[in-house]
Amino acid sequence: MRRIPLILGAFLSLLFLLASGCREPQGATWQRIEESGVLRVGVDPTYPPFAVAEGGDVRGLDADLARAVAADLGLEAQFTYFGFDGLYDALATEQVDVLISAMVVAPHRMKDFAYSDPYFNAGQLLLTPAGETEIEEMRDLRGRTVAVELGSPGHMAANQWQRRVPDLTVNRYDTPDAALDAVAAGRAEAAIVDGISARLYLGANDGVQVAGDPVTVEPYAMVVRIEDELLLEKLNESLDRLQESGRLDRMIRRWLGTRIGGS
Amino acid sequence: MNILRLSDSSPQTDREWPSFSLRPGLHIFFLLLFANLLQPPPLLITPGPQQTVETSHPILGVHTRLTDEVEEWKVQRTLEMVREMGAPWIVEFFPWAYYHAEDGGIAWSHPDMVVKHAHAQGLKVIARIGWTPGWARPEDTPPTYLDASAYDDFATFAAAFAERYRGQVDALIVGNEPNLSFEWGYRQTTAADYVALLREVYPAVKEANPEMVVLAGALAPNLEPPESPWATNDLAYLEAMYEAGAADYFDGLAVHIYGLTRPPEEPPAADRLNFRRVELMREVMVEHGDEDTQMYITETGWNDHPRWTYAVSPAERIRYTLDAIRYAEATWPYVEMMAIWAFRYPAPTHKPADYYTLVTPEFIPKPIYEELKTFTGN
Repeated sequence: MRRIPLILGAFLSLLFLLASGCREPQGATWQRIEESGVLRVGVDPTYPPFAVAEGGDVRGLDADLARAVAADLGLEAQFTYFGFDGLYDALATEQVDVLISAMVVAPHRMKDFAYSDPYFNAGQLLLTPAGETEIEEMRDLRGRTVAVELGSPGHMAANQWQRRVPDLTVNRYDTPDAALDAVAAGRAEAAIVDGISARLYLGANDGVQVAGDPVTVEPYAMVVRIEDELLLEKLNESLDRLQESGRLDRMIRRWLGTRIGGS
Repeated sequence: MNILRLSDSSPQTDREWPSFSLRPGLHIFFLLLFANLLQPPPLLITPGPQQTVETSHPILGVHTRLTDEVEEWKVQRTLEMVREMGAPWIVEFFPWAYYHAEDGGIAWSHPDMVVKHAHAQGLKVIARIGWTPGWARPEDTPPTYLDASAYDDFATFAAAFAERYRGQVDALIVGNEPNLSFEWGYRQTTAADYVALLREVYPAVKEANPEMVVLAGALAPNLEPPESPWATNDLAYLEAMYEAGAADYFDGLAVHIYGLTRPPEEPPAADRLNFRRVELMREVMVEHGDEDTQMYITETGWNDHPRWTYAVSPAERIRYTLDAIRYAEATWPYVEMMAIWAFRYPAPTHKPADYYTLVTPEFIPKPIYEELKTFTGN
């Protein structure tokens, strides 16, 4: 007799789990978007090369991505400009449907917002002179000199690695480009620089290469309100198609000069 | 064996009593006892030997954020790191609302802990007092709300604070950014209202502890137009403070000065917010014959958020900060100290404000901390 409540409990739990798994994603926003044919995109147009307002238009990787995603979904992208500080508020107050504006995935916001799959990694990269094969990760910097942008997250990462890698010398430069110039000129054996600066440099200069995996990860993703599950599903499906067709790669190359690994 | 049958000891009735076994209870008792023995002893935090701050820049201070820091070791570690960086001053907020009960009782344990560790590290403390307890303001008003009916209560607390920390706290700031309506719970006030508060607080503090330096302010730099409901221009507000007779009711003027996106050496102008706005404030003081009164910059700094409108690059932030200290030391003999906002937050704010700090919530020093440490000869 005692087994009956147990079996009943297990059955109900299973039923609940199945019901949760089969639940239709919520789609009121998506329905409205489909009916209007317009995807309202929030963007901060002061962040090159991702989005810059120019002559009544917005240009950059995020602008291209937004237009490509919208077209893929049979929609037109309609941009609304906000300062960086106001982007999440604009989304929360339903002034826009999605943020496509170099938004870093932020776990603390996941109670109110949902993120698409990442489309770009802006984290810190390890760069070495072109052709260098001995340095593949931070541990290989023992007894070597690494160049960083003064005060940057790369500088902070290098300072922390100094405790684990014996005889690691950290040379500070005022800009990421100056740090990478030092590598190219042989004044440093490696550099730690953010993913955007590194790509822009590599697109315009020879003599430096990316070594190994990113030192840190800073994923950029599209953002929707937490309840807009169907919209998120559509955006992810679209992102997948852009990735598979190679269009996302081409956009990244167009605006950042080069594409690195799994960026 | 340990079965106790209550029926055995109850001769008055034949009724069958339920039986109880002590064995499971004893097992749980010994299990809990064993678990208790396995627990590490509570962390013993002692202030340690008296320290002194080694520095080549005695003007340097930091605004700490220990108000909401619960764990004592974090308070101690923060203040150790301040000393190791070579900053002899801290500014810290002590919210009146947290400590003072309506029956007059004051819960001193947290401020005692902060002041004790600051003193042990050899740091000079500037205490900012503010935030009104619920019992001293109308219902449905925020803690920043303060009106004239509570000025005497504020003065009572400030005097008790000054008396208790005699020789351990060097200065006391009356309120915070009184030229912002936010800091009055959005009550519309004038400089004369603030001077009325100073008139209550100053004599009370001086009577309790004549050595305590009473600071007025700190005024928030802003360019709001006249009649703005949010703020009064800091220069106009200071002028109005003097006109309302403030001069006799403070020993030093606290100011907040942020560089925003501009370098520290940029010349000041009434219609521009930059680091040298201090000089315009000084002009007002001198015009009112108050040139003997020192100024205390209780918040300053630059922000290096990668995307915030008012941020600079990390390298600029470091250079501007060091240059600002050099500039103040060389040019402003009337500035007693300047505190960088902020040393460390107890937890991330997840806002651009995180990029004002010198140390992460996890106590990882940012490069600017290391640069300042080197700068002060440590």
